[in-house]
Amino acid sequence: MAHKLNVNGRDVEADVAPDTPLLWVLRDHLGLTGSKFGCGGGYCGACTVHVNGSPVRSCQLPVSSLADQTITTIEALEEQHPELVGVWVDNNVAQCGYCQSGQLMSAAALLNDKPSPTDADIDGAMAGNICRCGTYVRIRAAIHQAAERRSAGGIG
Amino acid sequence: MNAITNLSPCPTPHATRGLSPDLSRRHFLGVSGVFVLGACLPGCAKTPMPPVATEAFLPNLFLALDPDGTVRVTSHRSEMGQGIRTALAQIVADELDADWSRVVVDQAQGDTKYGDQNTDGSRSILLNYDRLRTAGAAARLMLRQAGAQHWQVGLDDVEAKNHEVIHAASGQRLDYGALAGIAATLPVPETPPRKGDAEHRYIGKHAVHVDAADIARGQGTYGADFRLPNMATAVVVRCPWLGGGVKNILKQPASAPGLVAIEVLDPSASAGPVFNPVGGVAVVAEDTYTAISIARDLEIEWTDSPNSTFSSENLQAELRAALAQPGTPVPGSEKGDVDAVFAEGMTELSATYETPFLAHAPMEPPVAVADVSEDRCVVHGPLQDPQSARGLVAAWLGYPLENVTVTPTLLGGAFGRKSKPDFALEAVELSKRLKRPVRVQWLREDDIRHDYFHASSAQYHRAAIDESGHPKAWLERTAFPSITTVFDGGATMPAPWELEMGFSNLPYKVDNQRMESAGIRPGVRVGWMRSVCNIFHAFSANVFADEMAAAVGRDPIEHRLAILADDGKLQVPGMQPPEGHELDVGRLRHVMERVRTLSEWDRPRAEGTGLGFAVHHSFRSYVATVLEASIVNGRPKVSNAYVVLDCGTYVNPDTCTAQMEGAVVFGLSLALHGSIAMADGAVVQSNFHDYPVLRMAEAPATQVELVPAQGRLTAGVGEPGVPPVAPALVNALFAATGTRHRSLPIKVA
Repeated sequence: MAHKLNVNGRDVEADVAPDTPLLWVLRDHLGLTGSKFGCGGGYCGACTVHVNGSPVRSCQLPVSSLADQTITTIEALEEQHPELVGVWVDNNVAQCGYCQSGQLMSAAALLNDKPSPTDADIDGAMAGNICRCGTYVRIRAAIHQAAERRSAGGIG
Repeated sequence: MNAITNLSPCPTPHATRGLSPDLSRRHFLGVSGVFVLGACLPGCAKTPMPPVATEAFLPNLFLALDPDGTVRVTSHRSEMGQGIRTALAQIVADELDADWSRVVVDQAQGDTKYGDQNTDGSRSILLNYDRLRTAGAAARLMLRQAGAQHWQVGLDDVEAKNHEVIHAASGQRLDYGALAGIAATLPVPETPPRKGDAEHRYIGKHAVHVDAADIARGQGTYGADFRLPNMATAVVVRCPWLGGGVKNILKQPASAPGLVAIEVLDPSASAGPVFNPVGGVAVVAEDTYTAISIARDLEIEWTDSPNSTFSSENLQAELRAALAQPGTPVPGSEKGDVDAVFAEGMTELSATYETPFLAHAPMEPPVAVADVSEDRCVVHGPLQDPQSARGLVAAWLGYPLENVTVTPTLLGGAFGRKSKPDFALEAVELSKRLKRPVRVQWLREDDIRHDYFHASSAQYHRAAIDESGHPKAWLERTAFPSITTVFDGGATMPAPWELEMGFSNLPYKVDNQRMESAGIRPGVRVGWMRSVCNIFHAFSANVFADEMAAAVGRDPIEHRLAILADDGKLQVPGMQPPEGHELDVGRLRHVMERVRTLSEWDRPRAEGTGLGFAVHHSFRSYVATVLEASIVNGRPKVSNAYVVLDCGTYVNPDTCTAQMEGAVVFGLSLALHGSIAMADGAVVQSNFHDYPVLRMAEAPATQVELVPAQGRLTAGVGEPGVPPVAPALVNALFAATGTRHRSLPIKVA
C-alpha cells in the first residue's frame, strides 16, 4: 500500500508493506542511501535520522507510523548544519565513514537541543552511535568546534 | 600514443575537449587562464600555445593528466578508512608537483597489471611508496621536457612547479594540462630524478582525506549503496554450524509480493576452497526488507557436519591442556639451558593467559552486487583484494579472467573480513541462476555468526628472575587454532609467520630461552583480524614482563628498558627478515622512552588510578602505549591513552594519528567486551547487544606522538597500534587495584 511521507521537505510516496522500516524505505524506495544499515536492531545508530527534529533509529520505525511526520536525513543535513559538515571534513573525523551519517544526525540533534554541550552531554547524546574505526575522540572535538562556530556565526 | 587533432596555434578554450564531461567548467577556466596569462607575458607572441591533446597523458598506470590539467591518480588499493586513496595521491602529486586542488582519485578494478592489490597487512605504502614517487617524478620530468621542446630551450632552463612548467629566462609558463599532448609523445624515463626529503610538499604533511566531504554529506558509495538497474536483493539463511546443508525447508511461502526466488546454495563449498560461501537458503526479493522478512519466517532443517558439535569452551580447555606439556619447539629458538636454570632455585614466575574468539564486526556487514551474463560478470563491493576476488569469481563461473570485472566500492570497515570474498561469490552464484543483477546483503547476525573468526588462544610463560627482575631463563608456550587450518585441510600447527607475530621475536635479553607452540583444528573458520596473532602474543608477553617488574617492586618502564636486548638488529630464530624489516631494538627503546615522557609517567595520579605500559613491534612499526585507568562503578574506566608510533617515513601524519586513536578504541573493545563463543557448532552471539564494542563514553582522551623518521623505510600504520592496548590496560588495572587480569575480556569481580 502507498504511504505518504515528508522527507527532507518533499512529499513522497512509498508503496510498501506497512511494517517496512523507514530505513529500507529511504534506501530502497527513495534512493536515499546516506542512512546506513548496520545492525537492524537499533543498537548501532548508523541509520539515525530525525523525525520531527528528534534523532531516531530508522531501522526500528515502521513506515506506517510516520504519516504527517517530518523526516530529515543526512542528505539534507548540510542545509541546517553547514558547520557540522565543515568541522567533520576539516578534522578528518571519518575513517571508513560508514557510521558517520548517523553520528552527524545525532550530533545535529544534540546541538539543536544544547548549543554548547559538555563532554557529558556528548557522551549521552552519542551513546547510541557505534564507530568501529574508533573516531570517538574526533567526533567529540568536532562537536565542540561546531558549537563554537555556530555561536561565533550567530547560528541557532 | 595520444592523437593530437587540434593544431591551431592559439586554440580557443571551447575547441578543446576534456575526457570527462563533468570537468568542462574546470577545463574552461584552466585553459583560458593559461592563455590569458601567457598573452600578458613577454615571449608569447613568438611562442604559440602548444596543441591541445584530446586524450589524457598516461605515462603510467597510476597517473593520468587530462588536457584540462586535472591530475587523476589511480588508487589500486581499497579504502576502508585508513586513508590510502589520499596517501597514494599525496605521493604522486608531490613528485609531480601538482596543485592538490586539481588532483582527483580514481578507483582501480582488480587487475594483475597493478601488482599486489591485497589491501591487508598494513603494507600499501611500503609496497607503493617508491614506485608512485617514480611515477610522479617521471611525469614531471616529461612535462619539463615537453616545455623545453615547445619553447626550444634546454631542459635545465625549465622547471616544473605547482602545476606549471616555467621558463624563467623568458618568463613563459604553461599549465601542465597545456603540455599533456607533447608530453604524451615522449618516452617514459625509468629513473627520473626524485625530490629530496626536504623538498616534499605533500608527503609528510597533513591532508584532508579525498573522500571526507562525500562522507560527511552521506554521498560516499559503499558496497551497500551500489545499485544496478533491475537489481534484486538476497538475504541468505545459513546453517548455524560450518558444513551443514539443507535437509528440509519446513516452512516457506509459496509466493509473496516482491519475492523473486528461494534458492538453495550448496554447502559443499565450505569444504572446498577457503573463500567459497558456506551455503544456505537464499531469499531473493525485489527489495531488501521483503527478503529480510521472508528469510526471518523460513524454517529449515539442516544436516549435521563434523562441526555440529563444536564447542569453543572445549577448545579452550584443550588449548590449556596443550600448554601443560612441552609443545613443538620453534626451530632455532633454544638458547642456553632453560631447565638447568629453573633447577637452580631462583625466584620463579609462571602464568597462563587466555584470549577468546573475536568477530571483525565492521560497521558495514558484508554485501556485494553481481551481474552475470552468459559470458561476462561484473562485481561491485567492499573488497579488500579485488584482484583475488576477480580470480575466484572467474574460477567459480569458468569464465576467462578478462571477462570478469571487480570494482571495489568504499569499504564500510573491514579489519581483514573483506579480504575473504565469500559474500561476493554468493552474489555471483545467485545472479547467474536468476539472470539478473543480484545484491547479497548480510545481516548483522550473519556477520557475527559466519565470520572468519580471530582465533582464541592461550599462552604459558615461566621465568626465573634475579633480584632486579631480569629473566635468566624464559620458557614460553603458545597454543591457538592456526589460520592455516582454513587453507590446508590437514594443518594443525601454527605457521612460522604466525609465531613471528610477537612470539618468536621477544625483544629481551635472555640467555636461556625456549619457545614451543601447539595447534588444534577448530570447528569454525578462522582468519586474520587487524594485527592478527600479535593481539594475543603482545598481550601475554607484555603482561608477563609487567609481572616480572612487580615481583621485584620495580618501575615497569624502567624494568622493561633494563631487560631490553642490546641496541641493533634483533636476532630471531629461523630465517631473518629482509633488510630494513628487522626489529631495531634502539627504535623500540626510543618509543618506550618517548611514551614515558608523553604520559608524564612519573607524575602521581589520583588514588585508585593506575598507569599501565606496553610496547610492541609489528608490521615493521614500533608502538609504545600507556593507559591511565581506574575502576568506576565496578567497571574499568580508561581516562587517558598515550601512544608513540615510529612507522618510519610517513605520508599523512594526521592519518597515522587517527589510526592510533582508532587502534586504542579497537584494542579496548577486545580488552573490555569482545568474546565470541560457539556451542553445538553455533555461534552464541548475534549482534551488538551481546557482542558489544566500545562506545563514546568509554573512549579515552588520546594523545599520539609520531616519531620523526622521514627518510627511513616506510612501515605499517593500520594494525600496529592495536597489540599494546589490552596489555597496557591489564597493567594499568594492576597498578590501580593490585589485581592481575590474565584473560580477555577483562572481568572485574
